[in-house]
Amino acid sequence: MAAQVSPIQAEGLGHSSVVSAPEPPPELERAPLVANNRGFGWISNRVASLCEGAAPAWWWVLFIPSVLALGMLLFMVSYQVSTGVGVWGNMRPVMWAWDIVNFVWWIGIGHAGTLISAILFLLRQRWRTAVNRAAEAMTIFAVMCAGIYPALHVGRAWYDWWLFPVPNSNSIWPQFRSPLMWDVFAVSTYFTVSVLFWYMGLIPDLAVLRDRARSRLRQFLYGLFALGWTGSNRHWSNYEKAYLILAGLSTPLVLSVHSIVSLDFSVSQLPGWHTTIFPPYFVAGAVFSGFGMVLMLLIPLRSMFKLQDIITMRHIDVMCKVTMATSSIVAYSYAMEFFIAWYSGNPNERFHFLNRAMGPYQWAWFMMISCNVLIPQLFWLKRLRQNLLAVFILSILVNVGMWFERFVIIVVSLHRDFIPSNWGYYRPTWVDVCTYAGTFGLFFTLFLLFIRFLPMIAVSEVKGVTPQADPHNPLAGAKPKEVLYEA
Amino acid sequence: MSATARDEEQIGPETRGPNTAGATTAAPGSCVRPQESSPVYWRSLDELAQRAQFRQWIGREFPEGAGEWADPVSRRQFLRLMSASLLLAGAGFAGNGCRRPVERAEPFGKMPEDYAHGVPRYYATAMPAHGSAVPLVVKSNDGRPTKIEGNNLHPDSNGGTDRFAQASILDLYDPDRAARFARGGNTCNAEAAYDFLAEVGRKARQNRGQGLCFLVERNNSPSRARLRKSLGDQCPQARWHVYDPVDLDIHRRAATLAFAKPVQPFWQLDKANVVVSLDCDFLGSEGDVHNHIRRFSQRRRLEKAEDSPIRLYIAEGLMSVTGFNADHRLRLPGSAGAPLAAALAAGVLDAVRNRAGGAAAGPAVAALAAEVRKLGGSNLDALAKAAGVGSQWMAQWIGACAKDLAANPGRSLVVAGYRQPLEAHLLVHFMNAALGNLGQTVSFRPAPEADEGGLPKLARALDAGEVETLVVLGGNPVYTAPADLDWAKTQRRARTVVRLGYIEDETFPVCDWHLPAAHYLESWGDARTSDGTLVSIQPLIAPLFGGLTELEVLARIGGAQVTEPYGIARETFAGLCGSVPVEAAWRKFLHDGFLADSAAQPVQVSLNAAAVAEGLARVKQLSPLSKDRLEVIFHRDYSLDDGRHNNNGWLQELPDPVTKIVWDNVVLMSRQTALELGLKNSDRVEVKLGERIVRGPIWVQPGMADYSVGLALGYGRRQTGRVGRNAGFDVYPLRTTANQNIALGATVRAAGGACAISCTQNHWSVEGRPIVREADLEHYRQHPDFAKEPDAEMEELPVVAPLYPNPFDQLKRKGLHQWGMSIDLNRCVGCSACMLACQSENNVPIVGKDQVARGREMHWLRIDRYYVGRPRAAKAGPQGGESFFDTFRTEAEQQFERWIEDPQVVTQPMPCQHCEAAPCENVCPVNATSHDQEGLNVMAYNRCVGTRYCSNNCPYKVRHFNFFDFNKRPIGQFYLGPFGHRPDDEWDLIKMIKNPDVTVRMRGVMEKCTFCIQRIEQAKIAQKDRAGASGDVVVPTDSFTTACAQACPAEAIVFGNLNDPKSRVSRLKKLDRDYTVLKALLTKPRTTYLARVRNPNRAMPETGGTR
Repeated sequence: MAAQVSPIQAEGLGHSSVVSAPEPPPELERAPLVANNRGFGWISNRVASLCEGAAPAWWWVLFIPSVLALGMLLFMVSYQVSTGVGVWGNMRPVMWAWDIVNFVWWIGIGHAGTLISAILFLLRQRWRTAVNRAAEAMTIFAVMCAGIYPALHVGRAWYDWWLFPVPNSNSIWPQFRSPLMWDVFAVSTYFTVSVLFWYMGLIPDLAVLRDRARSRLRQFLYGLFALGWTGSNRHWSNYEKAYLILAGLSTPLVLSVHSIVSLDFSVSQLPGWHTTIFPPYFVAGAVFSGFGMVLMLLIPLRSMFKLQDIITMRHIDVMCKVTMATSSIVAYSYAMEFFIAWYSGNPNERFHFLNRAMGPYQWAWFMMISCNVLIPQLFWLKRLRQNLLAVFILSILVNVGMWFERFVIIVVSLHRDFIPSNWGYYRPTWVDVCTYAGTFGLFFTLFLLFIRFLPMIAVSEVKGVTPQADPHNPLAGAKPKEVLYEA
Repeated sequence: MSATARDEEQIGPETRGPNTAGATTAAPGSCVRPQESSPVYWRSLDELAQRAQFRQWIGREFPEGAGEWADPVSRRQFLRLMSASLLLAGAGFAGNGCRRPVERAEPFGKMPEDYAHGVPRYYATAMPAHGSAVPLVVKSNDGRPTKIEGNNLHPDSNGGTDRFAQASILDLYDPDRAARFARGGNTCNAEAAYDFLAEVGRKARQNRGQGLCFLVERNNSPSRARLRKSLGDQCPQARWHVYDPVDLDIHRRAATLAFAKPVQPFWQLDKANVVVSLDCDFLGSEGDVHNHIRRFSQRRRLEKAEDSPIRLYIAEGLMSVTGFNADHRLRLPGSAGAPLAAALAAGVLDAVRNRAGGAAAGPAVAALAAEVRKLGGSNLDALAKAAGVGSQWMAQWIGACAKDLAANPGRSLVVAGYRQPLEAHLLVHFMNAALGNLGQTVSFRPAPEADEGGLPKLARALDAGEVETLVVLGGNPVYTAPADLDWAKTQRRARTVVRLGYIEDETFPVCDWHLPAAHYLESWGDARTSDGTLVSIQPLIAPLFGGLTELEVLARIGGAQVTEPYGIARETFAGLCGSVPVEAAWRKFLHDGFLADSAAQPVQVSLNAAAVAEGLARVKQLSPLSKDRLEVIFHRDYSLDDGRHNNNGWLQELPDPVTKIVWDNVVLMSRQTALELGLKNSDRVEVKLGERIVRGPIWVQPGMADYSVGLALGYGRRQTGRVGRNAGFDVYPLRTTANQNIALGATVRAAGGACAISCTQNHWSVEGRPIVREADLEHYRQHPDFAKEPDAEMEELPVVAPLYPNPFDQLKRKGLHQWGMSIDLNRCVGCSACMLACQSENNVPIVGKDQVARGREMHWLRIDRYYVGRPRAAKAGPQGGESFFDTFRTEAEQQFERWIEDPQVVTQPMPCQHCEAAPCENVCPVNATSHDQEGLNVMAYNRCVGTRYCSNNCPYKVRHFNFFDFNKRPIGQFYLGPFGHRPDDEWDLIKMIKNPDVTVRMRGVMEKCTFCIQRIEQAKIAQKDRAGASGDVVVPTDSFTTACAQACPAEAIVFGNLNDPKSRVSRLKKLDRDYTVLKALLTKPRTTYLARVRNPNRAMPETGGTR
């Protein structure tokens, strides 16, 4: 499918002679990041038009159930806060269950966004531009979904503010030794920086929308948030610097958030939790699930919004490879956990890991292993990476698998620990299930609003990675032949 | 209790001296009067200047012109009209709108003399129980009884109590208790009832008591006996009937028969070296359990290798608490009790003869020897079959057991349980006589033969229409009477039924008059404890609902001059104390709670050969059991007794010590029986006995005899309070006059479906982890530090100096108080009294069956019960040997593992361990749980937000989370959240039981054992007060203890100051059996355990042979 690039006679640009460049061998040629030679105008038009005009029918079909699910979330949360944590299935010994499973899962989902926007930016992975905006939005919304759980899973949610170091009449500070405390800082920092970074990147594109807006309201609102962007050199220069700084700030956060979330477990002394491998393993798992989620969101979106030229098969291919790589890291971690349990000689550790594979929650462990370790290995097949339906299904399975990974770590570790008389078997209640379903409502409501009202592709950045934008490319500054304004 | 034992191990129930906790509160000071020199306050410059205009302005009530209206209707007129019309309107609504204003008495506008706010008072009293009594000291806060403790001044008590005594305080505040006088089911006033009682008495005296019948429960109150006698003098025709659903009178009857003297046996377990129990659960469901536990545990004390603890053999069909503690346990159907007694008696005879060179213990024994031998030998094969073992094995078991008994003449004891028939008891007396135990390990106290009739006799009288007036005092015969008597109908045949009842239960509708009974904490009375000591029953509160006592009813019917219970009890006392003046003795009696030196003197007895021979003739051949011919054992429930505690939430939620099931009874059966019947746990089954059927869930109970089915009494109430409703199933319909305890020929088949059972501990095995440590006595003597061996590997590791020193190492050297606890697994029998003591002391809520099923029970102290399999070597066989994968099986699979059939059992109380390096503390984000200077892991409920991280990180899982408002909402309404509502009547009573020194926790917070920090603080404050200027603020050694330790009759739990080398806890922690649970985690708990040491007999077949 890679379109063969051939020297084109640049017309009407003052070049009198034919520019010829040495043609690289086709097998070394990379697929272009914007397919079909789309020009700047087409990109602006394509992306901006998504936010303009009436919403497509499918948008409403998705949006209405999402809002309903969001309403269910609000009901579930008020029920739980007004009645007690008992409405969930949590029990002794499994004091944390779906609440923290879902918290860690959603936080993990968020990771791909920051990784794409920050780390890949610093690493000059230019393919990131097509997906970073949507991925960052996904991050923010996922962190919002995640944030609900630690805030509301506590017994007395109205005292959550005691977790923040604010002066109070009790004159008691939070306990800085507690990993939950670190969580508060890590997640809130992560959320703040992610929002800033995302908004920063949006400014030039908001200006585009502002300039195209027909109604006063849109002009006003986009204008307000575009912060007077004119696209002057000075603006661009400041923008690029700020972007780089924020990318630099975000990069450690990518690693820190999930590492710190993992410390909730590894700082404790429960077999199955008390593991030094957790921080890197959690980050890998988070990136793994994050990419799974990005794929799951973008594959349908690119068809429905006809963005195949911007989010090309090359993008899908690269993301599949990242998924597979992180899956392998996760698989290694699983293996290493078992090895260390055996090698440490600690009978409690040994028991615990065998109990994962052979105990009453064996089914959860099998789900985890098959979805996280075995199935992603199919991505070795290029044919499969090119099959959108297969990739879509696999990306869902990745997220299912990662959910079970958290379930295995949290619930299965807790249900049988040191003293056999404490052993129990956890079952969720309908409130657990509906709350979780409700967070999808929140996520999709926000995400659908995002694709409807904000540019889901970073217009200016995508333009920057077209061949025309590269001064060293023979096409630099070239105007593609195609029609600029197609329907 | 022997004097030595008292000296050694005495811990007072509580410091009783005046406590000055509240004494420092100063009276509110009056306002300070402004001084002459104080600054002048002024409102305006005009005022400051005191101008005339200002003075005029301020003198007026209203500004100028405000007083006069221009309108002809003057302001006064208007107000007059308005107020009149409002008054009329108000009068119109008065019918439903106006109420008399609530009058609130504000307490202590003037403090009563001799009252210190917040300082509890303690009163001695006693709880009557099954013809005996438990001496108590009850704590009262501001006039409400709040906590029950044993009376350790009593000569036959160490301050320990049983489950029922601890929980009985909740019955006092039971919102469902009978609160009204009722006639024909309708409320009537008390005077009408009193008049009626007087009328009954008058009529009875006229016709000499013709047609007057009494139905009472067994009780040994001297006052009741006196009133009964005086009533009998006036009404000789009046008839007395006694019915106790669980009748322990068999012991007295058998002894009286065997020794031809009216006597009651009294087991002195503390003097025995070897005890053989034939289906006798003396540590669990016989009478006076707390005393048996105390004596038994004294003999299980093991402080040095030379100590030789008691050895217990038991043969029983059900797994019982006593079975838990046996060194050798034989699974044998209950119906095989008498044959086994015969076989054992034969064995004993042989063993005694071999030992003593042919000389028998007495002429009676010699006379019976031949017959006993014959009988014993004939049953051996059948016994072996019933026990599922080979004949050889059985003979060896009996032989070795008998030899062991004979080796301890006068220091051994054979006992039979109340479920066993008379012949088994007679054989037991025979054995004790042969072993020379009479007067040694079993003494006999006079117990006059009573002339009461039983329930069948009363039924015959009722059927014959001979009963004019039936007076039912206590009990609930409509529920508990044998099914063949059809009591609801039978009782109706009396013309008038008067009943004194504690609750409006099944018997209520068939009564003409229902009088509310007073709780024992509301009533005056007296009783005798099992040793015969007279104890006072002294009220701590006036009857909440104007209830009557038995004594009062009897006095009113008898037309006695003194009808108030105080007068009755005092009059009885005056007749008994024998000292003059009575007043001083009476006051001392009430203060101490007992009359000194009033214990019954033991009587010498000798065996009556004729009676025993008659008994021998009644020993039946064992009829074989099979899955189509099962044996049913009706047993007294560990929590509800015979059903009398059905509405007691604490007892309902107390895990059964054996099954760990709450809020339910089950059909207990063995693995083999369930397998053959194709059933698994919780399957609903139909138990059919003759034509009678009951339905309930089954439960596979390790250690049950095959083809025996255990059915607990007391559940499935049709009419009871809010708590007991819908709990379990009723087994009384299977119980007939002939088969009160053990019935043969039952069948069990699946009735379809399964029942939800809530069990607090599903996992049966300790999975080979060194959490509970035990050894045989021999091993212990060779390796006194065996308990520390599992940690040896850790000790060998190179010691890395910790980065931070443990602050408590320093404090242990210098601090005044460092609290710690030691729990002796060798003494703990698993009776669970401690759990209820903790619940009562610390306001621990109950959560209901559904929440327990979800693992949310709140008991701060739990008792873990583990079944221990035999050593692998002994498990050879087709299914023998443990697979590596066994551990990972689910609990449901575990019930069909072969090792559970003959398990040994250990119990381990597990409160908060108060780790010095507590893992819960550093993970709490809000500092809600932290350490104090005295080594307590303390919990600030107000600070807790409820992240539950502490529980996750607690390796002992002793922290409990308030998933709902367990205190505020009634069970069943937790899920309604703010819409749940506890009725006011319930609330008014329930809040009275709360210990004011302990916070009542709201939902969303964690809670856990605090080592009864309120008691610690009270003791410290009291000591500071005593110390005054001397500065000696160290609490005296062992002067107080925690609620659990206080209640423990076995003295297994010991709490105290580790910095005091003289304290018991310091001494116990130095014993070589001391170990730390999960020591490798380096949590450094303050609670340590003393390992269990079993004392098996090497000659017994289990120790080597195959079955």
